[in-house]
Amino acid sequence: MLSTVPLNVGRRRVCGSVFSPASLEAHPKSISDFQREQTPVASFQSSDSSSTFKADSQSTSFATIGGSTDAASPEEDTLNQARQAAKEFLSVPNLGFELLYNFRNTDGSQVLKEWNRFSPPSKETAEVLEYLMRTSPWTLFEWYGNDIRRHFLVNFRTGLSKLLKSPGEEGLLRTIVDCLQLARQIYLAPVVHYLLPLITTPHQGGFLAQLQRAFHTVVQYSLPWKKISPLLARELTQDAVVILGIDTLDEDSDPDRMSLDGTEMERAYSVSYKDWKQESPEARAHMIVDGEDGRVTIARDRLLAFLNGLQLVGLGGDQAQKVFANVMNIMMGDFIRAAYAGEWESPSTVPQHLEQWIENVYARLVVHVLAIIHSDPAGTQSGAMEVSLRDVEKWQVMGIARLGKLRVSELFDVIVDWPASSGAVEDLRRFTNNSSGARLYVTNLFSINLLQRLLHPGASTVEILQVYISIIRAFHILDPKGVLLDRIARPIRRYLRDREDTVKVIVSGLLADPATADGPTATGDTLAELAAELTKVPHHSMQNNRSELDYDDMYWVPDPVDAAPDYKKSKSADVIDSLVSLFDSKETFVKEMQTLLADRLIQKRQNYDQEITVLELLKVRFGDSALQACEVMLKDISDSRRLDLTVRNDQMLSGYRKQAGVGKLHAKVLSRFFWPEFQEQEFKVPDEINKLQERYATCFERRKDSRKLMWRNALGQVTVELELQNYTFKDEVTTWQATVIYAFQSDSSEPATKTIPELADELEMSPALVRSACLFWVSKRILTEVQRDTFRVLEILPTEDEEHHAHAAGDFSDVSDSEAGDTANAAAAAEAAAAAAAKESAEAAAMEKMNVYWQFIVGMLTNQGPMALNRIVMMLKIAVPGGFPFSNEELREFLGGMVSKGKLEIVNGGNYKIVH
Amino acid sequence: MDYSMEDTQNSAPDAQQSSKLNPSGQKSDTQSVTKRLQAELMQLMLSPSPGISAFPDADGNLLSWTATITGPTETPYEGLTLKLSFAFPNNYPYSPPTVLFKTPIYHPNVDFSGRICLDILKDKWSAVYNVSSVLLSLQSLLGEPNNASPLNAQAAELWDSDQAEFKRHVLARHQDLDDE
Repeated sequence: MLSTVPLNVGRRRVCGSVFSPASLEAHPKSISDFQREQTPVASFQSSDSSSTFKADSQSTSFATIGGSTDAASPEEDTLNQARQAAKEFLSVPNLGFELLYNFRNTDGSQVLKEWNRFSPPSKETAEVLEYLMRTSPWTLFEWYGNDIRRHFLVNFRTGLSKLLKSPGEEGLLRTIVDCLQLARQIYLAPVVHYLLPLITTPHQGGFLAQLQRAFHTVVQYSLPWKKISPLLARELTQDAVVILGIDTLDEDSDPDRMSLDGTEMERAYSVSYKDWKQESPEARAHMIVDGEDGRVTIARDRLLAFLNGLQLVGLGGDQAQKVFANVMNIMMGDFIRAAYAGEWESPSTVPQHLEQWIENVYARLVVHVLAIIHSDPAGTQSGAMEVSLRDVEKWQVMGIARLGKLRVSELFDVIVDWPASSGAVEDLRRFTNNSSGARLYVTNLFSINLLQRLLHPGASTVEILQVYISIIRAFHILDPKGVLLDRIARPIRRYLRDREDTVKVIVSGLLADPATADGPTATGDTLAELAAELTKVPHHSMQNNRSELDYDDMYWVPDPVDAAPDYKKSKSADVIDSLVSLFDSKETFVKEMQTLLADRLIQKRQNYDQEITVLELLKVRFGDSALQACEVMLKDISDSRRLDLTVRNDQMLSGYRKQAGVGKLHAKVLSRFFWPEFQEQEFKVPDEINKLQERYATCFERRKDSRKLMWRNALGQVTVELELQNYTFKDEVTTWQATVIYAFQSDSSEPATKTIPELADELEMSPALVRSACLFWVSKRILTEVQRDTFRVLEILPTEDEEHHAHAAGDFSDVSDSEAGDTANAAAAAEAAAAAAAKESAEAAAMEKMNVYWQFIVGMLTNQGPMALNRIVMMLKIAVPGGFPFSNEELREFLGGMVSKGKLEIVNGGNYKIVH
Repeated sequence: MDYSMEDTQNSAPDAQQSSKLNPSGQKSDTQSVTKRLQAELMQLMLSPSPGISAFPDADGNLLSWTATITGPTETPYEGLTLKLSFAFPNNYPYSPPTVLFKTPIYHPNVDFSGRICLDILKDKWSAVYNVSSVLLSLQSLLGEPNNASPLNAQAAELWDSDQAEFKRHVLARHQDLDDE
């Protein structure tokens, strides 16, 4: 072998040590040599002249090439003879490529023998050679260079291209390079062994370089680079993956291989971020710099040896560097993805790790490789200079950018995992701080991500709000100025505004019990987190009032350059503020707040401390006036309690006695104007209750002059005690359920039986509601449905024994199961019926509302003339305060009803016209 | 009968001009006007008065309305449907709306281009008036014209002298806009 591979050179950062003697002893003269050689090479390289070249080189006599053939003097003759002898000595036997291929794995000595390249020249020939070397070495070398080309083309070219065409073979390029190296030895061995020693040392390099160049050109010509480069890329990737440690990272995600290899590898060397993070700072540096294991060393040696060969046979240089650069580019991306994807813990040291890796692992490989495949034939001493410190810094910046890209692509998942993933946001922050384009990139990509993954009908409003809250927090860390958040939040906010239940979710979140908010997303259907957020000291919003022109603000900075024109600096990452400001006015919000508060307040509870707390906290944010109605509602409730006590006392004093069988009546007095409209079903309460109500009302009116009580029978709870034949039942139920069961009361021993129409008549209650109440009592095992719509009191609860007998087959658990199943079914049925009843009342309320709209429609059609449906809807949307909640279809149906009632007519082209 | 001199009648008040020249305050003005008009509309819809009705035009800013008055019984206008246009200034209700009869009408206090001579639409305007009160006033004006300051002198004369002839003129002049 002509070259020795410096196996351990990699440990040092200097790798300029060298391989081919030619390049080592490169001589300044070689440049002029090179120029001199230009002509034949040029003609040779143009593809169409290649065949003629072959023929030429075979037939052309040595002398004509030599260029000094003018006279056939005796001296000339000697010279010619000498040349002939030398030519015979040097010429290569035309043995085929097969032979070369078969010997590709040997060290070459066998091949050289085979090709007759080792036999020393005879004494005569040696003399001849010496003579030639002394007189005109150039002509001999020039001839030999041409002969190398000829021989290569004749013998090896077809074999090589055949080899190239066999696709997909592992290590194909290595085989080729091995073969070429053998060929090179075949050509150069005699020269090195017998010719060069005859020349003075300073010239040796030049001659050798000339021959090598001849060889390189023909190799490059025979092996089209288009085919070589993918092979080279594959080879490089294969080893670079090992050297850079990317393969071990992949193993981490593969538990099987881990357990298999993990023990023998002992994991001495790892570029894994996870392992690195666990180490102390000192150990970290050590880990990356020195901690490589045998596998890596082997891979590196293999790769460097291969590249060495590549360079020797002339396939290195610029083109190989390009391929290498490509591969390394991909490697960096791969490494970052493999090492850092999903590593989101805070505090993040990912950038540090990445920088260390680039400096110590990545750059080291680059230095090694570039030292071998250099383009400058004379540039070996400058091998260490190929990679400057500035390059390494550039790579580090690139690495950070790649990391940022990775994080951006992960950003949505990062946000979903918030706050467990804050480390990722720190990484991203570093990325966005580095460049201005990065900020745009982040927002654009993330917006697209959001559109695809969040803002679609499949996501529930709670989810969207949850993510939005996380986004607010995460982006506050990423960009405290809020420009990015501003940009990201716009589409989300627009989308949330379109969602009908957004307000409801927010308000119920605010009213949720903060105690349950410990696991932020644990409760699926409420944003209890909001309640917790609300209780935080809202000091941000307190100091919000600073205007833009606060001259005392020593920390004032201008708006960031990439801020939108209408960008307003959000003063804080205040989640509540952001959510509430979703809506144009606070009114929507306050209205929803009222509705929810009303529902909660009319429930029977010991105290309403939580509601009071929430309201007080909200008042800090919104001011007292906005929440006045809510305030009044709370006050009503607390007043009612006091009033209830007083009225009760009055009743005692004025001599009413508690009658047997009639319960106690507590009332809540609500100020009608401040409470939202309740939807309710009208029905007749039992006479006894009615009397109680009247008495209560008199007492109340005596206390409060000019006030009148209107009883809302459907709202309220009743504690019911039922005495059946063999057991009693006590529970708290709604008023209408109580009323229905009260109707079943009888003194006779026969169980009372009633039908739904009867009850509906008697109680002036809608049949749907009656049915729902009856089903409720069935689920409580008080009633049974003897036949459809007929219910009877279940006076004697069947004992388990009886049931056991009834279900003679099957064991006990089965019985209780089926029993529980029955009750559950009944309960479900009751619920469904209640829902149906509620729907009925809601529909009635909707019709009521529609009547208001009817007035609008009449006004519109009277004044504006006949109109089409679309136009009516449009006008209603403009004219009705609060918008028009019905769809076109609903309106069409309604108008259709009016047409059939004769109030409207349809005139030309489907326009509706009022009938006078 | 001389229309050209009637330009000052019911024409847009000066206030409207000035508010146009003062764009800074315009936005909030428009908002409060819209709010007020919306409230008036709601009121009209929720407690409609018989014989009168009004609704905004389709231009979307609520500043122009169309109103309908049904002719009161026992007047020459009985059974007729009369349409009016309302144009509200930006500082409504501090300035009166411009009200015109769109339906051709023969009336002592209305000229042939539909302009109305009614004190509360001019100097007697007050912010407590609203669309509904204006319409009610106009409805009563139909039955009791103010012949002291007529815009249509012939009509004023006929009203006093010959009711039958007056009614004939009314019917001759009237045409329903819807039938166009």
